Formats: sequence, structure tokens, C-alpha cells
Amino acid sequence: MGPEEYLADVELAWCPGCGNFAIRRALALALSQLGLPPDKVVLVTGIGQAAKIVHYMRVNGFDGLHGRTIAAAAGIKMANPNLTVIAESGDGDIYGEGGNHLLHNIRRNLDLTVLVHDNRVYGLTKGQASPTAPLGYQTRAQPFGVLTRPLNPLALAISLGAGFVGQTFSGEVEQTAELIVQAVRYRGFALVNILHPCPSWNRVQTFAWYKERLWNLADSDHDPTDRLAALSLLISAEEKGDRIPVGVLVNTPPVPTWEERHPVLRQGPLVGRPLPTAAALKPLLDEFI
Amino acid sequence: MELVVRLAGVAGQGVQSLGEILARSVFRSGLFIHGELSYHSRIRGGENAFTLRISDRPIYATRKDADLLVVLTPEMWRVYRDRLRAGAWVVSEEAAGAKGERVLQIPALRLAREKLNFPLAMGVILLGAAGRLLGLNKERVQQGIREVFGEKSQPNLLALEMGWELAPSCEWELPLARFSPGEWMLLTGGQAVGAGAIAAGCRFLAAYPMTPGTPVMEFLAQRAERYGLVVEQAEDEIAAINMALGAAYAGARAMVTTSGGGFALMVEGLSLAGMIETPVVIHIGQRPGPATGLPTRTSQENLLFALYAGHGEFPRYLCAPTTPESAFYLTVKAFENAEAFQVPSIVLTDQFLVDCYVTVPALDLSRISVHDHLLSPEELEKIPSYERFALTPSGISPRAVPGASRHLVLVDSDEHDPYGRITEDLSIRRAMVEKRLRKEEALRQVTSLPEVFPSENLRGRVALVGWGSTFGALREAVEALNAKQDRYAHVHFSELWPLRWEEVGELLRGAAEVITVEGNAWGQLGKLLRQEAGIRPAKHIARYDGRPFTPEEIVEAMTHGA
Repeated sequence: MGPEEYLADVELAWCPGCGNFAIRRALALALSQLGLPPDKVVLVTGIGQAAKIVHYMRVNGFDGLHGRTIAAAAGIKMANPNLTVIAESGDGDIYGEGGNHLLHNIRRNLDLTVLVHDNRVYGLTKGQASPTAPLGYQTRAQPFGVLTRPLNPLALAISLGAGFVGQTFSGEVEQTAELIVQAVRYRGFALVNILHPCPSWNRVQTFAWYKERLWNLADSDHDPTDRLAALSLLISAEEKGDRIPVGVLVNTPPVPTWEERHPVLRQGPLVGRPLPTAAALKPLLDEFI
Repeated sequence: MELVVRLAGVAGQGVQSLGEILARSVFRSGLFIHGELSYHSRIRGGENAFTLRISDRPIYATRKDADLLVVLTPEMWRVYRDRLRAGAWVVSEEAAGAKGERVLQIPALRLAREKLNFPLAMGVILLGAAGRLLGLNKERVQQGIREVFGEKSQPNLLALEMGWELAPSCEWELPLARFSPGEWMLLTGGQAVGAGAIAAGCRFLAAYPMTPGTPVMEFLAQRAERYGLVVEQAEDEIAAINMALGAAYAGARAMVTTSGGGFALMVEGLSLAGMIETPVVIHIGQRPGPATGLPTRTSQENLLFALYAGHGEFPRYLCAPTTPESAFYLTVKAFENAEAFQVPSIVLTDQFLVDCYVTVPALDLSRISVHDHLLSPEELEKIPSYERFALTPSGISPRAVPGASRHLVLVDSDEHDPYGRITEDLSIRRAMVEKRLRKEEALRQVTSLPEVFPSENLRGRVALVGWGSTFGALREAVEALNAKQDRYAHVHFSELWPLRWEEVGELLRGAAEVITVEGNAWGQLGKLLRQEAGIRPAKHIARYDGRPFTPEEIVEAMTHGA
């Protein structure tokens, strides 16, 4: 199927110049390259401008609560591991409100793909700082500038053992699509942080600002199977602040996923199992005699 | 005929296991029991008491005073020495220091240590003495020990023997068996909720441990492989409900279990269930609040919370089982209603019901009906296009799950159009609110009105009205009151929302007086009766000290009031 067949024919409510348009194109391109039938894909989103993407695609969708994107995605995957489950939302949703679900689902290692639209601000609520906003970043809600250090989601995920961790920039549609393809194909938890400008609210990290700093790891000798090297690279980039690595940071050989380790799911998905018969329930009631 | 045996020790002395052995031994003798577990929130020390009522008829309540007290520590002797009936016996660990005419002192700890090299068996030595006094069949107690201790039975069987030898024989003579094996069952409320979930086809449970919701999680986890469930300990209650909703959206019958505090965290998810019309069953084992409250005690403080939790307006099914038997059937009904009406269902129990061992009529699978409410592959094949939230006269939209057919399934926590797509079209908004609320009317037709005793005619009677696990205490209290003066009635709710409140109002308006009896201070059912049925209770008998009601305390409250 061509990429356009994954796009819903609806009006898009994003602001002109928003990075979300390019991310939508990249996602469609990736799904097309993966050759996934739309009815076998579930896109799970939360709340925010990024989360609206579920309405603009032509796949199954679960648009849940703000922050709970990964939790709902985990439940869907546990019930039916045959579905390709992609959790996608903004930096506020995944890293702020839903931080706990990110931590523990990296530990669970379900075969999930998490795509985060990271523009360092809360767009839908009009420009407050997100967990990835830099120190000193001023907004109407943070008049003294942000006093809290930004989260480094990539280093966090790598330290918790996420098997696939990448970063990309929305302006690079083909690279973004390629990273999404690799993340979906990866058997285990995969995180892709997608940097993108917010022309309405973020006047600091603009398109041009990113373009000056992007550092494509494909042009380096970084070995994505080396987690320590990836961490060192991220910490050093954070300290210097002049270069932003994009590409695959970590891609380690897959280990058994949660669903592969679960004895019940090894027998097949939960979905579609017949309702219990009286004969099957007899030993249950016999426990009480 | 009735005998009350109380075992009291500190946490870590195995009081619950001793209670279970005793309960099983008596149950196997064909007698009815009610075993209440009462404990402090700690791993070691504190109070741990098991109160076992033995009767020749079914009983669903506990008692304040005991005929036989088995005490393991001095502290427990001080706590329970005043709660003895006339002629009561006490079996006491020597060091507990119980004194009196009918006190049997046994150096159980010393014997367990010296003769068995197994100090933990101290309780079983005392149990042996108590068993003989009670006139139990020793083989049945041995069988109970094997069932409860499994591989660790051997030293405990020796301990039983020791205790047995030290007691005078048969102070009491238990009646002959009142039922044959298989006619009645022995289970706790927590086990009943778990068994009901399995019987209803539950495939998924996510939970964060919280007393007294946890026994349901553990019951299902231990049977997950046999009955094909995924039971996952979530990182928090918010995750639990959202995982359950994800699983349910994908097509697995899903459940969460918690207590009031955990449910408070789930509330946004409850509202999501209402919005995306995705079935989920929420078990809330109540305990006293606010906040952490009394973690291991019982209460009925969450009726109005369970009913009104969640922002926005959406239908829900709310039931409050009365006994383990009722917990089994109502849990099945909660699953079925959730599936049929695509609403969240709440099963509201409490610590008393979750932890008590009760003899109930054998659970009967022919009494439950469990159906598949999803569109079949054939139906999905036939329809040209699919809308998850199609507007229908009943408000119920045919439900498909993702991956089951070529049709896409979209759900949205925003207001949405019939397809599931986000909308701010205000005419669609109105249609969707009305669609969701129409389901409540259909659901209202399948819920049951309260049970009325002794007869539907309340004319001239004082109606004692309760809900949930106070059923047994209220029924016995009304029977006792009527034995003196036949002018009382017992009205008991086990399903609370949605109800045909007009009919409830008609029923209660016939009574000379309405008195609510609830494990809360406010009289929460009373508030609901005023609001929904126009009934103004004359009095509220409240209990909020974390303890369950006993029949005698209700009778006392009525007598004082008169």
C-alpha cells in the first residue's frame, strides 16, 4: 500500500508550519515501507497536539487520556500480541504526565514502539514549558525561566535497558520514516524521540536552530550495540550543548519480550479465546467443596 | 445451636492459617460456619484474630462474644477477656497468663520448641486442645492441616496430637452433619469475586497491591495459567485501569481490583471507560478512610464515591454483594452488564466480606449466563462500513475489536462522531450524550430491587435498610427483634445503580419507619434514598470504627433507640 493510503482524508487542526505535518508523512511512509495492513496496526495516543495524529491516520486507534498512552498500549499488546502497537504522543504526555508508565514499560519490554513528538513546549495549552524545555526557558507560566533541569529521555531509556533508542528531526522526513521502520521492526521496547519546532510557541528552538545543530550519527563511528558509548555521547552532547545527535543511538540484540516470557501468551493471544464452559469451570468450583 | 470460637494472637503466629484449618474441619463435618478475620496493618505483632461461628443453619454474620477463646499472647488475653459468653472456655498459652475457672493453660511455646524444635507449631498445639474441647473429629482437623500446610504438615500434625492429649474431652457435642459434601461450599468473598471473574470469562487483570483488593489479584494470579488469564501488577492504579481499558478495547474481558485510595487514582480512567464505552469491571474492597485510614479494617464509606466518581455524565453499573455467594453471581453479572451495555461495572465489597470464610449453597453454573457481545466475524464480513459509536435506539453500538476484520476501530476520549473521530460539532455532542445516557435506561431494567424480609408488605413495620456485606447481621438482628415483637422488616440492597427508584420509594413508603444501618457515619444509602426515592430515614445506625456489624449490636442500637 502506498503511503497516502494510511492517511485519513480529514481536516488537520495543526498550526501552519508545525512539525507534526512532517511526522505524519513520515509515519505513513514508514507504515507503507513496513507493508502493514491498517487493520493490524493500533495507534495509541494521549492528549495534546501530537496526539491528534491518530485521527489523521487510517489505522485502528485508541485516543486515551493525557499521560496514559503507554499504559493503554501495554494493555492492548498484552491482550493481542499479534497487533502492531505504536504509542505516539507529545513530550508532555509521555515524559511529564506519563513518566511512570515510560519507566516501567521499558522494564516490561513488550514489543512496543513509542514515538514522542518533542517540541519542548505544551502546544495545546498555549506554550508552557515541557519536561525537555531547557533551563532558563521563559514562558507565561515560567516568567523566571525554567528552574528545573531538562529530562534526557534518551539517556533515561538507555539506562533502563531499552533495546532500541533513536532520535530524529521532523524536518528530515525520510530519516524519520526509516527510524520508525527500524523501531517497529525491533522485537522489544523501542523509543524514538522526534524533535520538532513549534512555530506558535517555541521561538528559541526553531527550524533553523535545529538545522545548525543536528549531528547525524550515521556520519560517525558510533556503535549502536554499545550502550555505554551511547550514554557517553548523550551526556557529552548535553554538556557541550552545540550538537544534537540524530539517528540510532542504541540497537542491541533483542532479548525475550514480556509476551514471549508469559506462559499464557505463549499459547496465543487472549483475544478470541472462547468463553469458559461448565466443564472447564468444574475444577474451579471443586476447590470450594 | 451456635458456638463461637475465637483465635487471637499477633501477626506472624499463623492465626489466619489456624482459622482456616478450624473452618475447614467444621465445614467438612457438615456444619455451617462464618469465619471473620480481623487484623492490624503490620507483618509482625499487632492483633490478629479469627472469629469462627459454628451453626446448624446458614449464617452470614460474625459475633462479638465467644464461647471458646484461644489466646496466644498476654495482650490478646487483655483485649478479649471481656468478650466471653457465660460458661466460656479459654485455651491459653501459658505465657499469655489467662486465669479463671474454665481456663486451660498449656505451655505451648515451650512444648513446640523443646519437643518439636519448631516454635511456630505453638498455635497448632493450642488448636489441638481446642479441637478436642469442641468435639471435632480429629481426622478432619488432620485433613485441614494437610490442606493448609501442604509439605510442612508433619511437625504440625505432631503438634495437633500434643494439644489433643492435653485437653479434657468433648466439652461440647457438635450436631450431626446438616449437609452432604458438595451441597454447600466454603469460600471467602475475595475468592468468590475471583471465581466469578473466571466464570465470566475474564482474561485480563491489572492491579497495584492494596488491602483489601489484593486477595482477588492473588487468587486470579495463582489460577492464571490454568484458566488462561494475564494478571499483571501495574506500576500504579492509574496504569492498572488504563491497561485494563487497552486490553478491553483489544477484546479481552478486563478487570482491576483495589480499595478506595487506589480507586481515587483510577477515577479519570473510569470516566474514560464511560466515554469510549469500553467494558471494564472494577472491584473495590472498602476500608475506612479518609486517605490511608485504617488499612486492614472494614467500612462502607465508598458508596457515594463509587456512584459519583468520574467527571462528566455517563452510565455505570454498581453492585454491592452481600455474601460470598452473592459476590460470585454479582461479579458474573458485573462482567455481563459491562459487556452488554459497554459501561464500567463496579463491584463494591469490603474487608469484612473479602476476608471472611462462609458456608454458602454450592455455586451453580446453570444459574449464570455469559454471552459473547462482540460482532462475529460473519457479521463483520457483511457490513460495508463500521462505526464504533453508531447511534442506535438503545444507545448500544455494535462492538468490534481491532484486528478481527478489515474494519478499523477508533475510540477517543474527546467527544467524537459515530466513527470515533474527534469533533466539536455541538449537535453531534448532544446526540452522543443522549446515546450514552440511553444505555442507563436499558440497564435499569435488568437490575434487581432490594430483598425484603419477612414479606413484601412493609405496612406497620419498622424497616431496617442496609446494603452489601451487612446482610447477615441485619437479617439476624431483625429475626431477633421480631421474636420479641413482630413489627420489623429487613430491606437489603445488593444492586445500587441504576435502580428503579420509584419502585423503591413505593416499597419503603409503606413502612411505619425507615432506619438505615450502614458502616459509615453519613448514612450514604440514606442520602441516596432521600435523593432518588424521596424517602427520609428516621434514624441512621452507624458504624465507623473499622469493625463489622454484629447482630447483637444492631439489636442493642434498636433497643436503646426505643
